[in-house]
Amino acid sequence: MTTLVTKAPVSETGWRRVLGSPKTARLLFPVAVLAVWYFIYYTIDSRIFPTPQDVLGFMWEEVTLTSGVRYSSVAENLYVQFGVSLMRLTIGFVVAMILGTIIGLAMGISKRADAFFHDWVMAVLAMPALVWALFLGLALGFGDLGPIIAVIAAGLPFVIINVREGVRNTPRELFDMARAFDVPQNKITRHVLLPSLMPFFFAALRYAYAIGWKGLVITEVFASDRGMGWTIKFWYDAHRAKGVIGYALFFIIFAMALEKLVFDPLAEKAFRWRPQVDALEMAEGDFGAVTQEGFLLQESQVEEAVPIESMEVESKDG
Amino acid sequence: MAEIKIENLHKEFGIGEDRVVALENVSFGIQGHIFVSIVGPSGCGKSTLLNILSGIETPSSGSVTITQDNHEAEPGYVFQAARLLPWRTVMDNLLFVQKDHNEETRERCQRYLEMVQLGDKGDKYPGELSGGMQQRVGIARAFSIEPDVLFMDEPFSHLDAITARSLRRELHEMWRQTRKTVLFVTHDVGEAVELSNRILVFAKGGRLEDDLQIDLPFPRDPSNEEVAVAKAQVLRKFEELDLIAT
Repeated sequence: MTTLVTKAPVSETGWRRVLGSPKTARLLFPVAVLAVWYFIYYTIDSRIFPTPQDVLGFMWEEVTLTSGVRYSSVAENLYVQFGVSLMRLTIGFVVAMILGTIIGLAMGISKRADAFFHDWVMAVLAMPALVWALFLGLALGFGDLGPIIAVIAAGLPFVIINVREGVRNTPRELFDMARAFDVPQNKITRHVLLPSLMPFFFAALRYAYAIGWKGLVITEVFASDRGMGWTIKFWYDAHRAKGVIGYALFFIIFAMALEKLVFDPLAEKAFRWRPQVDALEMAEGDFGAVTQEGFLLQESQVEEAVPIESMEVESKDG
Repeated sequence: MAEIKIENLHKEFGIGEDRVVALENVSFGIQGHIFVSIVGPSGCGKSTLLNILSGIETPSSGSVTITQDNHEAEPGYVFQAARLLPWRTVMDNLLFVQKDHNEETRERCQRYLEMVQLGDKGDKYPGELSGGMQQRVGIARAFSIEPDVLFMDEPFSHLDAITARSLRRELHEMWRQTRKTVLFVTHDVGEAVELSNRILVFAKGGRLEDDLQIDLPFPRDPSNEEVAVAKAQVLRKFEELDLIAT
């Protein structure tokens, strides 16, 4: 007699599903980082390399103001330093957005303005933040102005290019539609032009913020006696790696929190009409993806995304 | 009664060697509750003609007059792509082109959305609708301003055959109910025969080659023998005029 054994279809049990989920994979990453960290700590012989608990302990002391460390002669702490940096970032960011929007609009509308600014924008874009930092330190000393200009210089080209691309890619067919229906110009501006610029404006906002932060911290290291960048250097000079890493973590946490708590909800509100969130579009806003490559990718993407109406030969130029 | 009068309309692009004639001294007139199709191969100036009629382009010479009972008529447009504002809801897209804004306006828009079977989709965004539904919104938008004449530029050419067929039927029913004057551009001879009372045949270089009357009762079923015969006749005409690339 033969017995037929049929296997039950493999069903994923509860804990298996939990282990295999992307959430678990995401959580696994910091665990892996910690493992590597400890591995390095126990294998290399270093007096300055801290353990994770050293860093967390340091951060806790900074947050609760129990470390007793005085940054500079005045009693300054984490919050004051952060406040200084944030004030500089905000001023620089606002100036970069306003100036960049004006220049970007001009470049998008006028070929002559585009020709005038083009090389200049590329030059500023190519200039490393470090050079700005050194130059501004030499030129302006250790005040607020140097770091503020650094934020402007870092963010401005991205704002300009994004706004310019936005103007160039305004949907012509929608303007033609509105004009054919005799819609008044101010209504066209409000309901067609401005909304069509919004995605580009948002990209500009995120880039200017992210790149501005980085430019600011570097400049504060070299050309400031206050602020987050300066505090990181303070701990570097003191040979305390826990201070350097701790402050870098403060910086990262704050930057990510602002992304998630301010920019993401804003974008969601502005782009509710999009059927689904474009994955690339989101990545482009994420902090890690903001690089020179990220920007280039975004620009070429924009060109592909423009819907080219199937035009007949005769209607090519008007 | 709406009237479209086109006299010696001429349009050229470029200068010197790059000169392209898009429309060559075209003249015709359209009057009353009639569905007129303009048929021709691509590059025959169909789109240029519509662009001039909608005021997006200006003619090199000649004149266009569109009147309703001797007043300036108000035209409505349906485009090849639906051309909806993606950031506005379906209802807001209709409201965007309205001249007046009151409770009655909204009711009228709702009525036309219902006519294209989208009465319950007013608060959706265009991105949430299929291509066929978007084009329906485009048609509702054109009708919702209650225009005197309607210009349509290959409105079904982007749609699949089945969707296009049901939309043609709906459009025809709306035309019948609202008694508008329609000028409909297409490259599809079958579509033109199915929908129109009159077909204007354009050739490459923007010449008006022929003016055909199609006197068959509506609605016309494309599988109906008479309709098929009429379509074959028009196609033969095309061959005579050497309009079909061989």
